Amino acid sequence: MNNVIDTPTKPVGQTTYQTQIRKLGQYGILVAFILICLGLSVISPKFLTVQNLMIIVMQVSINALLAFGVTFVIITGGIDLSIGSIVAVAGVVAASFAHPDTYPVIVPLALALATGVAFGALNGFVITRSKVPPFIVTLGTMTILRGLALILSKGRPISNLSDTFSFLGGGKILGVPNLIIVLVIAFIVCTIVLRKTVSGRYMYAVGGNEQAARASGIRVGKVKMQVYILSGGLAALAGVLLTSRISTGQPNAGAGFELDAIAAAIIGGTSTSGGTGTMTGTLIGALLIGVISNGLDLLNVSSYYQQVVMGVIIIGAVILDSINQKTN
Amino acid sequence: MKHAFKPLLVALTLLAVGCSQSASDSKTDSADGKKLVIGASMLSMQHEFVVNVHDEMTKKAEETGIELITVDAERSAIKQVEQIESFIAQNVDAIILNPAEVEACSPAVSKALAANIPIINVNSETGVKPTAFVGSDDVEAGRIAMQYLADKLGGKGNVVMLEGYMGQAGQLKRAQGAMEVLKKYPNMKMLANQTAEWDRAKGMALMENWIQAYGNQINAVFAHNDEMGLGAVKALVDAGLKDKIMVVSIDAIPDALQAMQKGTLDATVFQNAQQQGAKAVETAIKAAKKQPFDKETLIPFQLVTKENMAQFVKK
Repeated sequence: MNNVIDTPTKPVGQTTYQTQIRKLGQYGILVAFILICLGLSVISPKFLTVQNLMIIVMQVSINALLAFGVTFVIITGGIDLSIGSIVAVAGVVAASFAHPDTYPVIVPLALALATGVAFGALNGFVITRSKVPPFIVTLGTMTILRGLALILSKGRPISNLSDTFSFLGGGKILGVPNLIIVLVIAFIVCTIVLRKTVSGRYMYAVGGNEQAARASGIRVGKVKMQVYILSGGLAALAGVLLTSRISTGQPNAGAGFELDAIAAAIIGGTSTSGGTGTMTGTLIGALLIGVISNGLDLLNVSSYYQQVVMGVIIIGAVILDSINQKTN
Repeated sequence: MKHAFKPLLVALTLLAVGCSQSASDSKTDSADGKKLVIGASMLSMQHEFVVNVHDEMTKKAEETGIELITVDAERSAIKQVEQIESFIAQNVDAIILNPAEVEACSPAVSKALAANIPIINVNSETGVKPTAFVGSDDVEAGRIAMQYLADKLGGKGNVVMLEGYMGQAGQLKRAQGAMEVLKKYPNMKMLANQTAEWDRAKGMALMENWIQAYGNQINAVFAHNDEMGLGAVKALVDAGLKDKIMVVSIDAIPDALQAMQKGTLDATVFQNAQQQGAKAVETAIKAAKKQPFDKETLIPFQLVTKENMAQFVKK
């Protein structure tokens, strides 16, 4: 894998060799995912029902949105630890403007998204201007934003939200839960951005070799701004949907979500050293995490063991992935 | 990651300790010199119940004209021990401790006792006995909630239990109380129990999964706090099962009372944050002034149902 990253003969776009490796890596995870699903459907007859699968996708959607955002960031070689706190701030902001008979539902939605985009831009700005590593910058904003969520909400959950607002993340359109609709749209849009746009190709180039990318005339700073804005915006969207789904804006919501999102991206084949990763892989990674936790709940496995099983499966999936990449 | 940042955290804490120390020193000097100073270390100011207890402590402090210095332990026992050490160094007149852990916070209590500073535990216990304890018995809360379900179900049926953060006193004791009651009813069965970490979204997800696993077999749900209970309610309403399955939880937060008004939550158990906060400060003042005080103040839990909920809405 290192060879691939260290030899960016063509800084813009990827060679077919690279693309193939990525595809095969994805299959490794896909195989693991299918095996786990098969195993669960054998052990528990309740697993493979339309209703249960729908519930899994709903439960996964919040983490998947965050994971899509952080995938952009990790592809450029960065990291975003602030997304869990952005979920909380966006949720608190949305909830503050979502009481019944106050503002139309677009107001909390727009304000929350603007908040996420603004803090994403702040991350990007500090990272590109100060040369402080993204890990440190976003660790700082993670703490700042958690504090901000507590300040805005005075440490208490904000409830009594309007029905229209609760519909956003809790409702259904033509029998399909809104969460799933949003997830599908976000997946398609993120895939297009990453694979079909110039910006997307620049993201791979920056993550593959930043200096080469800069030498070939790519405005690295602009690309980095874009990924942190995308990450912040998607995190805010996730925050609004979570707040809407549980009908309350909680200042401590989203704590630890950043790690689940990063795990989903990494399980899905995104390399933390940058330059590789796909939205499909990330989606499968998120689904894998969701399937495991749902399956273990169905089997009533004690939560002590659940954590152990989850960790083993995360590492196992990544080992399988790397073996798959080497043999090909 | 946690480990990598421990040195950083320790450094920051030391810095904070240093700052707060000099700040309070100047205050006591400038004040009339006789004003009592009480230091309070709270489990987590992100926790609504703790915030409510603390609000009442502040109110009581203002009424009685004492100075209350509050620090937030952010759920860390280590941090809490360091905070108590700094209170001892500041030579406060009394300490109020809202412990983060049963055993890990015990050194804080021992140190305060060794320094002859009265230390009052509020809300939860530590392994080492403090000067006085003000709080409620969580076993009782679990008992009240499960007894309610047993009565409503006529001593027959299947229950699932959403538990608090595993290993915390609140989770262990509420589960213990519930199991005690369950033992008396051979026809009642615990179908499944799992932690949802006191969290509404996690409670909702867990309940959704249980509905898939057990569906109509479930007769009632007991959640260790209202947040998880409300998550379970949401999952049951979405699945169209709320009319068939009862939910009882603990805390009586405003949201829970509102849900009861709507008829979605069946009952909750009220833990009196106000009285705990007020009694803690009162006891601390008495102990500091060497007046007689109660070694243990237990504030009873109360079952809240639709019939008696009006009196709790105002509180």
